[in-house]
Amino acid sequence: MDRIISQILSAIRAPLDALETMLAAWLPGQEIAALVAYALYVILIIAGGLIAIGSRNLVRAMMGLILTFLGVAGLYLLLASPFLAFMQLLIYIGAVGVLVFFAIMLTKNTSFGEEASFPKLPNIILGFLAGLAPLAVLGPIMIIAAPKIGERTYQATDTAELGRGLITFDLVPFELISIILLVAMAGAVFLAWRRPEARSRR
Amino acid sequence: MELSIASFVQIFVAVLLIIGLMVGNAVVMVYFERKGAGFIQRRPGPYEVGPWGTIQAVCDSMKLLGKQIFVPGNVDWILYFAAPILAFFPVLLLFLPIPFGPYLTGLKVDDGILLILAFAGFGVISNILAGWASNNKFGLLGAARAVSQSIAYEIPMILALLAVVFLSGSLNLSEIVENQGSWPWQWNIFVQPLAFFIYLVSMVGETNRAPFDLPEAESELTAGFHTEYSCMGFALFFLSEYANMLLVSFVCATFFLGGWRGPFLDGFWWTFIKAYVLMLFIVWIRWTFPRVRFDQLLNLNWRWLLPLAIINLWITAVAIKFFD
Repeated sequence: MDRIISQILSAIRAPLDALETMLAAWLPGQEIAALVAYALYVILIIAGGLIAIGSRNLVRAMMGLILTFLGVAGLYLLLASPFLAFMQLLIYIGAVGVLVFFAIMLTKNTSFGEEASFPKLPNIILGFLAGLAPLAVLGPIMIIAAPKIGERTYQATDTAELGRGLITFDLVPFELISIILLVAMAGAVFLAWRRPEARSRR
Repeated sequence: MELSIASFVQIFVAVLLIIGLMVGNAVVMVYFERKGAGFIQRRPGPYEVGPWGTIQAVCDSMKLLGKQIFVPGNVDWILYFAAPILAFFPVLLLFLPIPFGPYLTGLKVDDGILLILAFAGFGVISNILAGWASNNKFGLLGAARAVSQSIAYEIPMILALLAVVFLSGSLNLSEIVENQGSWPWQWNIFVQPLAFFIYLVSMVGETNRAPFDLPEAESELTAGFHTEYSCMGFALFFLSEYANMLLVSFVCATFFLGGWRGPFLDGFWWTFIKAYVLMLFIVWIRWTFPRVRFDQLLNLNWRWLLPLAIINLWITAVAIKFFD
């Protein structure tokens, strides 16, 4: 029965490939498809960012953030690294986004408090400048280092190769990141820890 | 995978078949769930509509389609309607890398299991949004529970799957099946019984089924995060719950029970037989065990499943290092 399925599949595939060679002149090429996908992802990222900073409501802001994460994952896919894209979704949407919701739940938030009012003009300008600061540092470097179009073709990186890199060549940065995470976790526990005597005094 | 008309058609047909599978599965499983509940609790279950009550589930779904959409006041409109959609549509994608048979696979991706785990996160997001947007305290409590439960049970689940990934050296579901043999003692469950057990517990926790159905515990929270949903909103949550059950069963069959490999004749029937046996297992424990308390649920996860999964993973890694 499986052999019948495979025969059906290959039988369907032949006319479709013939159709494709016939339509090849009119179909958009890979480059145009990539450009359209790139535009879509960039729009997702920017729209998500605008929602995240513009909405009065923290949960809606979180949804904007998640939209941005989705767009970034799409960009990773476009750069032929599906592993990174899936990890982006798994960690940032599955864990970080959900934890942000947890933090919103644990804090008292109202949609008409002091933070929800529209900020003053100097604050907006300062915030805009602060947002541009990373761009001022990273932008020139990226413009200098950017390869010309068509100069380099991107091959999908083998996941096994990626893992081998993490335990040999990039071992030190990888471990440093884990130390940073450990310190952050210890700090969070320290801040949230209430000593038993303090608890009994209340 | 190259861009071609053939691959587009393949994915399109696969998604259509998956939608059919999801809806058919929900109808069939509702019938078996109610009959199973009746059998376990010594009552007949549905028997009025059709022979042995077989048409009951169809009538129920027709009724659900015809109901009025009732939206309570003061809901967050966008998020309220986005939540069921977000619950339903990612599930379609999750079935794509599952190897139902040697040729019956929607999309053979190298990082298949990562794709499933990555897009499964949208289910949690949809639960949160549903609970929060419906402006209901029961809904909000259900959402808060869904968050901590799914975050907790995702970790031992991934670690248990990772042990199998260590063994077969691939994240591709098709390759994991091909690395197992046709007879039960050649399946991964025989090498990784502890991982199988951990996965079995955490898959029930991850799909919010009893005895771990705390986000929608009806005796405390009316219906939890989907309290305020009627008609198709509820139907989409319902469909996605059953589809998620089917998905974790298929993943379990693929990773631990040999997938489409089986005695005598390999083929897609073995995948379906194994997955539906697991589904009936989930139904069985739902009607057998009482619902746990929330602290018990979290204690079971953080104090037992997580350390066991880490120890199992460590032993697997050491064994591979020394015996391979």
